[in-house]
Amino acid sequence: MSTIALLGQPNSGKSTVFNQLTGSRQHVGNWPGKTVEKKEGSFTYNNTKYTLVDLPGSYGLSGNSDEEIVTEKFIKGGEADLVCVLVDASQLERSMYMLADFASMDVPAILILNMMDVAKGQGKEINDRLLSERLGIPVLPFTAAESKGYGKLRELIEQEIRTPHRLATAPDMGSGSEAEASSGKMVAEGGAKYAWISSLLEGVTNTRRTKYELSKFDKLMVRPVLGKVITIGIILVGFLAAMLIMSPFMGVAGMLPGLLGTPIANFLTGLNVHPWLVSVFSLIIPNTIYFCISMASFVFGVNVVFGFLEEIGFLARAAYQFDGALSRLGLQGKAVAPILMGMGCTIGGASGTRVMDSWGQKMLTMMVVWAVPCASIWSIIPVISGMFFPIWGTLLVCVGIIAYIFVLMFLVSKFFGKSLVPEDSKAGMIMELPPYHKAHWKYIFKEAWIKCFDMFKRALKTVTLVSVIFWAFSYSPSGNVESSLLYKVGTAIEPVTRFFGLGWQTFMAFISAAFAKEAVLGTLNAVFAGQSNVADVAFNASAGGVDTMALSTIMTQTISGAEALAFMFACTFSVPCLMALSTTYKESHSLKWTLKTAGFYVAAALVLSCIVYHIAALFMG
Amino acid sequence: MKLSEMRADTCGEVKELKGDKRFLSRITSIGLNEGASFQVVKNDRRLPVLIYVRETLLALNRKDSESIEVVEVKA
Repeated sequence: MSTIALLGQPNSGKSTVFNQLTGSRQHVGNWPGKTVEKKEGSFTYNNTKYTLVDLPGSYGLSGNSDEEIVTEKFIKGGEADLVCVLVDASQLERSMYMLADFASMDVPAILILNMMDVAKGQGKEINDRLLSERLGIPVLPFTAAESKGYGKLRELIEQEIRTPHRLATAPDMGSGSEAEASSGKMVAEGGAKYAWISSLLEGVTNTRRTKYELSKFDKLMVRPVLGKVITIGIILVGFLAAMLIMSPFMGVAGMLPGLLGTPIANFLTGLNVHPWLVSVFSLIIPNTIYFCISMASFVFGVNVVFGFLEEIGFLARAAYQFDGALSRLGLQGKAVAPILMGMGCTIGGASGTRVMDSWGQKMLTMMVVWAVPCASIWSIIPVISGMFFPIWGTLLVCVGIIAYIFVLMFLVSKFFGKSLVPEDSKAGMIMELPPYHKAHWKYIFKEAWIKCFDMFKRALKTVTLVSVIFWAFSYSPSGNVESSLLYKVGTAIEPVTRFFGLGWQTFMAFISAAFAKEAVLGTLNAVFAGQSNVADVAFNASAGGVDTMALSTIMTQTISGAEALAFMFACTFSVPCLMALSTTYKESHSLKWTLKTAGFYVAAALVLSCIVYHIAALFMG
Repeated sequence: MKLSEMRADTCGEVKELKGDKRFLSRITSIGLNEGASFQVVKNDRRLPVLIYVRETLLALNRKDSESIEVVEVKA
C-alpha cells in the first residue's frame, strides 16, 4: 500500500485536506516515544488503497521542536511514497518557505496551491504551469474546503505514485560544513531560501500589494479595549446561535424517555421480567440515550459556531487580543478560543485545544479550560443558592465563583505550567492574522457532524457503563434511600467528608457532579427527599422532574448555609463531567496526564470546599 | 532601532535578528528574515505588534519585537 504524507505550515489547510480525503477512516494516536499527535487515515481510489499521514504542523523543518523532528525524520526515512506539500496561494512567498526547507530532501513530491479562492478574491493570478516547470514537480491549484477539486487531487496522486517526480531545484545553501549550525549560518540560510523562492516566483504571480490597510472591522478589532469587548460580545452571540442549532435535537431527544419509558416498562412487566431489569430498560437506557444525544448536540452546536468563527478568521483576531493576558498563564493567545468555548461546554473547549502548537501547550490549555464553569453549572447554581440566600446573596455567590475561576487558572499554571511548557520551549506569539474568508458551510457542518457523532459513540459507551454502576450503588429494594449502598458508603465516610464541609448527601451530589452537572439537582432530590432512586434521576439531563420548592424546604432544614456554599464551590470546580474527562484523554492521548488533571481538580475542589465551609461557618454561625 | 519602537504606518527593513536558534528559525519561517521589508500596521503598548510582511499580516509578541533590529525606510 502506498503512503502519502501531507506537509504544510499551520493554516495551510492541511487538516482540511486530510479530513476530506479520509472522511471517518482515520486514526489518531501518538508518534512512538513522543507526545506529538499522529494522524493517519486511508482512502481508496480506483480500487487502490492509500495510507495518508498528516505530518505534525510546523513552520519549517529545522528540528527546533518535537513536531519538526518527527516530520523531518519521517520524510528522511523514506516512509512516504509521495509528499504533498501544501502552501497558501494567497500568501505564496511566505508559505513556500516550507517547500524551501523540504527541498533538501530527495523524495517524490507534488505542490498543492491551496486557498486559490482567497487568492483569486485578492485579484491574484498564479501561473502554475511555469511554477511546475521550474520546480520539476506537478503543481495543483486547489481550494481545500470545496469538495469539487478532490477528484483531480486523487487522480494526480495515483499518477504520481506510478511516475513520481522530484524537485529539480533547491536553495543554494553554500558549501557549509555539516557541523552544528551556528546562528549566523541559520540566518544566512534563511536568506538563501527566500532568494530561491523569489527567483521561482519571478513572473509566476502578478500582484504584490505593498501597503496594507486594515479593514474597517479590523480597525475596531485592534483597539485594546474595544477589541476585547467585541470579541466577548461575538462569542456570546455565538453561544446563543449554538443553542439555537442544538435545540431541535435536544427537543426530540427529550421526548424519548417519556415516549419509551412506559411502553417498555409495561411490555417487560407483562413478560414477568424482574423489576430490577425493567427499570434498567425503561429508565436508565432511554435516559442515557437522551443524555448522550443532548451532549452530542451541544458538541455539534459549539463546533459549528467556533468552526465558523475560526474559518472566517475571527479567532485569530481574538488570539491577538488576549495574548498578553494568556501569556501570564504560560499560554499562547490561541488558547483563547478553547477557553471561551469552555464557557459553553468543557467538552467543546477540550476538543478545541487542537489548534495549539505543541502537546504541552495543548495539555495546559485543556487543564485551564477545566477551570471554566460550563453553561450547565449556571443552570444549577442560582437554583441551589436561591434556596439558601436572598437575591443579592446569590449574586455574591456568582461573583465569587467568577473570581475563583481566575485563581484556579493561576493555580493550574503554577502547578503544571513549568513541566508542560518548559521555559526554553516557550514561544511568544508569532502568529499570522489570515485575511477574512467566506465560510465554507458544507465543510463546517461536515466537521461538526464528525465530532458530534464521535462524541455520541463515546458517550454511549461511557455513560451506559457509569450509569449502570451508579444505579447499582443507589438501587434500593425498599425504595428508601437508607437501604441503598450509596447511603451506607456515604454515611460511613461522612466523618472524613465532614472535614471538607460536606455531609454525606452533599458529598454524593459532589461525586455525581463529576459525572454530569445536569445530574446534581436530581441527585440532591434523591438523597434529600429520598423519594426516588438516585440513578432514576442522576442521568436525567433535566431538572424537570425535580420539585425545587419541596427540595428547598428539606435542604434548608437539613444543611447549613455554610455547607450549601461549600458544596456549590466544590461542585462547580470539580471534574467538569465524565465526557470532558474522556475527551481530555482522547485529545491528550495521555492517561497519566488525564488522571493527573482529574486528581488535581478533585483535590482542589475539596480543599476549596473545606476553606469556604470553615470561613463561611464563622460568619453564618 | 527596535521593531517595538516603530510607529504605525511606517515601513522598515530587518537589520538584525537576535535570539536563540529556536526563535531565529521560527521568525524566519514565518517570513521575517534579515533584509525583509515590512510595514508596521499597529503598535500599541498593550497589544502585540502588527506588521505586514510578505503579503502576511503578522502579530508579534512585544518581547520578541524588542530583539529585532530594524531601520526605517521611506516608502
